[in-house]
Amino acid sequence: MIPGVFFDGRSSHAIHVDVWRDGDSLKWRGPSREYAVSLVVVEPSARVIGVPFVLHLPDGAHIQVDHDLLPADWFADSHRLERVVDWLERRWPAALIGIFVVVTTLGALFEFGLPWGADRLAMNMPHALEVSMGRQSLAVLEGRALLPTRLSLDRRQHLQAIFQHFADRLTGMPPVQIRFYASPLLGANAFALPDGSVVFTDALVRALPDDQAFIAVTAHELGHQAHHHMLRLVLRSSGVVIVGSMLMGDVASIGGLASGIPIFLLDSHYLRAFEEDADSFAFNALASQGIDPAAFVRAIQALERVRPEVGRGDGLRYLSSHPLTAERIARANAASRAFQLAHAGH
Amino acid sequence: MHDETMASGVFFPEVDAAPVRAAETSHRFDFRGNAKDYFRIWIVNVALSVVTLGIYSAWASVRTRRYMYANTVLADSPFEYLAKPLPILRGRLLTGVLFALYVIAGHFSKPLQVGAGLALAAFMPWMIVKGLMFRARYTAWRGLRFYFVSDYSGAYQWYFIAYILMGIPFLLMIFLTVSGHPLVGLLGIFAGIGGIYPWIKGNQQAWMVEHHHFGGKSFRFASKISVYFHMYWRVIAVGLAWLVPTMILVGLVSKFTLAAQGHQPFNPKAPPISFILAIYAVMAPMYLGVWTYVHVRMTNLLYNQAHLGQYSFRSSLKYWSMLNLYLGNALGILCSIGLAIPWAHIRLARYRAEHLEINGDGELNDFVRDAFAHAEVGAAGTEMDSLLGIDIGL
Repeated sequence: MIPGVFFDGRSSHAIHVDVWRDGDSLKWRGPSREYAVSLVVVEPSARVIGVPFVLHLPDGAHIQVDHDLLPADWFADSHRLERVVDWLERRWPAALIGIFVVVTTLGALFEFGLPWGADRLAMNMPHALEVSMGRQSLAVLEGRALLPTRLSLDRRQHLQAIFQHFADRLTGMPPVQIRFYASPLLGANAFALPDGSVVFTDALVRALPDDQAFIAVTAHELGHQAHHHMLRLVLRSSGVVIVGSMLMGDVASIGGLASGIPIFLLDSHYLRAFEEDADSFAFNALASQGIDPAAFVRAIQALERVRPEVGRGDGLRYLSSHPLTAERIARANAASRAFQLAHAGH
Repeated sequence: MHDETMASGVFFPEVDAAPVRAAETSHRFDFRGNAKDYFRIWIVNVALSVVTLGIYSAWASVRTRRYMYANTVLADSPFEYLAKPLPILRGRLLTGVLFALYVIAGHFSKPLQVGAGLALAAFMPWMIVKGLMFRARYTAWRGLRFYFVSDYSGAYQWYFIAYILMGIPFLLMIFLTVSGHPLVGLLGIFAGIGGIYPWIKGNQQAWMVEHHHFGGKSFRFASKISVYFHMYWRVIAVGLAWLVPTMILVGLVSKFTLAAQGHQPFNPKAPPISFILAIYAVMAPMYLGVWTYVHVRMTNLLYNQAHLGQYSFRSSLKYWSMLNLYLGNALGILCSIGLAIPWAHIRLARYRAEHLEINGDGELNDFVRDAFAHAEVGAAGTEMDSLLGIDIGL
């Protein structure tokens, strides 16, 4: 016999009772009378540490039984899943394993699962979406960050021709075009937009020492185009926002302020991998068209001269979107040596 | 910010605070949970949720909420959380899909996202009603459930039309600015918002309280709208008091971190990460300071003006204690990379329970079952409002 509190479901009056099981029925006795119902109509609540058991009775009444007083065999078949969860919740080793599981699962999710899913989705998106994304970005930038170019028509036509010639001989490229803008805000810069545009700022064009260095930068940006990095990045970071918000809203309950930083870090992390990928693409593309990847080194060094902050390796690897300059130069030099060896062999 | 982010995650039903008369009995809320048990429950459930890619999270939130509710005790009887996991899972999936579409749409077409945002705003009052109905329907004490009347027109009045009303000072300002009196326009907008916003907030609380029922009685709200005006005047004072030291710190931080960066030109589109972090660190206390003030005062007003039958409530949250609590929680959570979250919830729930009591001439035995239909309520509304962080102020 165990003590419990009976509520008839019609009033808030509490009746202290003794509860026991008699064969297939549940019985309880209060100060004035005795009650009985069949066990099968009783709906017990699931076990949680420190939470009283509630035995729901058919007509809205219930009996509260103190936590851990209910004999295990009364309702052996109910809440089987939550019984296991409850068993885990009572054990410190399970809690420690839980921490490990959360860390590794989240790590795997953001490192592999989410990028994989986003990339599959990106592959199945119609190209029209990429075009509209690119148009939208350009519309936002044009007239604000991007002003009409001041390069001479000759210069532009010359670079355009080199660009087209180089791009046409690469396989598997989406349609691409080059655009020039003056941009005091962005300085010497080049970037790729999802609709196939490759944007060069005037300052970058002026900073590059020769046509081969221009082609090296082009090759890097075409790497972004060939592998649809912009769309994939957008989908990945949307995934981070979505997963992050669901996690924050429910599990962590920290609120929006704190979630901005991890999202920013993860985005930079994905971006960095794409930059490395674009570099590798560039080395191969240059070599395949008989250009020594050393041109890439000249381009980076030129960039470093006009934008000193590019070269500063401040040690925060995870924070920087582009691979550190010294590393990129080392990789370009390695590619250059491989190129020279291959050509010396001919 | 909504209750689930900063507060305990426990829905304290509208037990109100009435003026204390002598010889009345007073029942204090009591919180009996402890951080050790709750930590194990929390981490096991988080782990299972993550491993099942969120599917288990519905079961997880039912278990963690049951723990928090059942450990909130009034007159020796625990509260009960009765929601079932499956409807919550359904609501959560629907919310997740809608949110994903919204986020991704923003990258392809801004007009589409703006349209979706407006549609969402139009649905907000509906979601608020559904969310309140859900919470009330699945909160019980001594076997009796709470009930929230589904008053959609009231919700649209106070959570939609009232906000449109706030647009009038803006239009006035634009008009005055165009006609050459920008300063008058600016003053007008402060006066307009100062005159309208507290009025909206007060009426929202009254609407929310008066549509709750428990035990055969409906909640009454003895509100004086002037107290909200006084409250928001003090919010402005508190905001200014926080603003001055924060601005000085922001100045120092910018100078220091930018000096550490060397003499390269400052790029406003991509400021250095150390600068962003420093600004976050400096702004966060100000945000918390002002938010806590509003939260504490509004919670006290909510309970202290509500009545249920002959009972009244008394909520005596203190600003500095709450601020202390929140700062401690925030630091603990940051330093433990999140592992202190359960501890933070427990601390907050305990403080809130200890500062809420119900007074009145009776032993709380005189509540009876509501005659209302007790149909099930879908969980989509409550899932959406907790994702979007709608501040319904409970």
